[in-house]
Amino acid sequence: MKTAFEKTQSKQRAYTIPFSYETLSFPFPPELQRQSPLMLPEISEIDLTRHFANLAERNMGIDTNFYPLGSCTMKLNPRVNEVAAALPGFARTHPLAPDETVQGNLQIIDELIGFLCKLCGMTAGTLTPNAGAQGEFTGIHMIAAYHRQKGDQDRTEILIPDNAHGTNPATAAMAGFKTITIPTNAQGDMNLDDLRKAVSKRTAGLMLTNPNTLGLFSPVISEICKIVHDVGGFLYYDGANLNSIMNIARPGDMGFDVMHINLHKTFSTPHGGGGPGSGPVLCNEILKPFLPVPQVYKDKSGYHVKWDEPNSIGQVAPFHGNFGIYLRAYLYAKLHGNFGLRKISEVAVLNANYLKSKMGQFFAIPFPQTCMHEFVVQADRFLDKGVRAADIAKRMLDYGVHAPTVYFPLIIKECMLIEPTESESKATLDHFIQIIEAIVNEINADPFNVFNAPQSTPVSRLDEVRAAKQPILKHTLVQPF
Amino acid sequence: MDFISNKSPQIAAMLSEIGLDGIDDLFSSIPSDLRIRGPETDDGLSEYEGLRLMEELAVKNTFSSYENYLGAGAYEHHVPALVSSITSKSEFLTSYTPYQAEASQGMLQAIFEFQSAICALTGMDVANASVYDGASACAEAILMAFRHHKNRNKVLIGQSLNPRYGAVIKTYLQCLDYNIVTIPFTKDGGVDLDFIRKEADHTTAAILLQNPNYFGVLDDVRASFEIAKKESIICIVCADPIVYGICPSAKELLADIAVGDCQPLGLPLEFGGPYAGYMACRQDLVRQLPGRIAGETVDTHGERGFVLTLQAREQHIRREKATSNICTNQALASLASLVTILWYGKEGMKELAMANYQRAAYLKSRLQKINGILISHGRTTFNEFVAEFKMPLDKVIKHFQKNGIQPGVSLNNNSLLIAVTEVKSLQQLDRYVKVAQEVA
Repeated sequence: MKTAFEKTQSKQRAYTIPFSYETLSFPFPPELQRQSPLMLPEISEIDLTRHFANLAERNMGIDTNFYPLGSCTMKLNPRVNEVAAALPGFARTHPLAPDETVQGNLQIIDELIGFLCKLCGMTAGTLTPNAGAQGEFTGIHMIAAYHRQKGDQDRTEILIPDNAHGTNPATAAMAGFKTITIPTNAQGDMNLDDLRKAVSKRTAGLMLTNPNTLGLFSPVISEICKIVHDVGGFLYYDGANLNSIMNIARPGDMGFDVMHINLHKTFSTPHGGGGPGSGPVLCNEILKPFLPVPQVYKDKSGYHVKWDEPNSIGQVAPFHGNFGIYLRAYLYAKLHGNFGLRKISEVAVLNANYLKSKMGQFFAIPFPQTCMHEFVVQADRFLDKGVRAADIAKRMLDYGVHAPTVYFPLIIKECMLIEPTESESKATLDHFIQIIEAIVNEINADPFNVFNAPQSTPVSRLDEVRAAKQPILKHTLVQPF
Repeated sequence: MDFISNKSPQIAAMLSEIGLDGIDDLFSSIPSDLRIRGPETDDGLSEYEGLRLMEELAVKNTFSSYENYLGAGAYEHHVPALVSSITSKSEFLTSYTPYQAEASQGMLQAIFEFQSAICALTGMDVANASVYDGASACAEAILMAFRHHKNRNKVLIGQSLNPRYGAVIKTYLQCLDYNIVTIPFTKDGGVDLDFIRKEADHTTAAILLQNPNYFGVLDDVRASFEIAKKESIICIVCADPIVYGICPSAKELLADIAVGDCQPLGLPLEFGGPYAGYMACRQDLVRQLPGRIAGETVDTHGERGFVLTLQAREQHIRREKATSNICTNQALASLASLVTILWYGKEGMKELAMANYQRAAYLKSRLQKINGILISHGRTTFNEFVAEFKMPLDKVIKHFQKNGIQPGVSLNNNSLLIAVTEVKSLQQLDRYVKVAQEVA
């Protein structure tokens, strides 16, 4: 399909400028004027409308397809959230508006932090981090600030399990820490002996996802926390997998000190093809003084914003973060209540275990125990035929299903990480199982179609190597006259 | 309420298939001392009740009943009606990061077009798919420069940078061993070139200037960068993208990296987010660029398609050696900005920029004539400027508010930072002047 830059037609336009009849002619100094031509296309509104309608048709979403992308919690994005976020009373509020004119916004911030704290067993929080990774960044900086304030300059290491999300080690590095990798044992849990050997007076903290990225809850979590706490380190909880434990267990009770939640996963805010997300950070009393600003507080006259706090790590965002995203999460929390959130976790875990029990007939299951909201399969049985996990994933697209996460976690060979979420019905899951069966049958009979998948998508398999070796990263208009 | 599909018949069937007696058995790996009792009664709301609740909260925000002249990094512009109709399309709204390229061509092409549009505006060679906001774009650009100049530890930042951006940069650098040196501004609101001449040395990795700066002033960016280039310092310009409609591109300003916030292009104020940071740079810096990048390639039939590319920079591949920890960006917000840029197109972007300049210049010229109001900076401003009041500022602001106007963002020195965009009519601006006269 042509890009917008290839659809330009001279003098065509969609725009109007408000009050353009009000001609003003203040001179604009020539030395401040642009010399180079503005190489943007000229397109009419109908062509623009059609361009994006056609692009949309070339994309899968949860609305159109089952999307069991592990670690991403692709659940329904309720449209009531969208209606609420578009209300002018929210959409038109300026982030520096006087406090008394944005009491509704500030109430949402205050109440949502309170709600999330209770849900997670924490005491204070912030909604300003714009995504999970920025939440990690915030939490790790809070840990660093604590150690710095104690004069504990030697705490230069962050421990991270080998199955962690890539954001964990990248975050630790951005905060100037050295990362120490802790291996996973045969049961898919952290190896405690390795942890004991790794901790020391240099340990600033441990970052952990629980359930982890293999979909397994660590039964020794309290012991892990004790080992790290005993050397004076903190426990960071990567809340990417919170969808499995809401109102069933709480990170604070497990011993975690600080954590983030991905609202675009657990709390249904749309992922929009790669964001915006929202990554609130919650913490316990010890780390509370280091939370970023701005912060919202309440007194007799109402809600207020404070922009200064003596021990705060400062600002991670210029204003209040992705307000338009977390207000959707606020509504989602209100609609479900704690009762509904628990049901979400129960059914998310049931759906995952149901799928997992059926997948054993097709793939190796590295961890046979009950999983939480997601599970890994090892799709290496067909390697002798040359069929890899990527081929199976691409073939799923032909059957109208978005592929699971592949090749993550990195520690499992030919890994597929499958997360059905609570949204999906038994019928959808059964259909998915039939699709997998059909693909496996194809592989056993003749893998041709699997190697050549996908064929029913707008493009067939794309050459990623070429894209990286001969990068074409933009289109440019041909120089006008 | 909930959005769970499976109800008791399916739940019972599935449990029996996997050989479990009840839901609780699914959670046996969680030690009993960590298990909590869930609530017994349904404390949720119906969709109607939920929406009513949100409407009530929205009404508690009285801000939208005022005429708004607040800017300082977030501006009220017209959002084309086309924008929400496109960003609300199921396939864009409800897709994840396009990991499966063949099933995500729409979003990948949109990202590619966004990159192209940002390059067209800034004149730079390459752009990424977006970062969180203008502030994090500034911080990430500085980190790019430190990776490029591994043995340098200083960054020069204009004091006339949005202080909230400055605060975010400070947070990003606080655990790293780098020095921030602040470049003062002169009386006319421009950057102090003598200071740059003195400080731009071989230990300086980057210089970051905002244009227009926090006070709306179109600054001496090119002159500053000319000085910095003598020491091969990475030159970063942070700009409202609309300004590129009439002002020199970042390339013309000699920038190596162009950053800013896309909010003015198609993103409602929404109390500060979601916005989207844009980042563009010279070709030779592309491997230092953080975040997603879409690239063109071909499929097995030779048909054109798009994929996420140069991923060896990113956290899911490089982990602690990645250029950044960023994973989720602001894709849907950058799509909104792309639609807006294309809606305006080549001519519209110029007219939009000019309309902003003209309306602000009009209000500025009218206020200048009022006794008791002083326009703080002599230099040309874009769509924002600073006015100093003789009367105490809180009294001034109260009077404006009584007349239904939020007159600007308070600064020190009893002054207001006043933003005027294309959505203000002359009639509204005249009313602003009238109210100002009453309180000056």
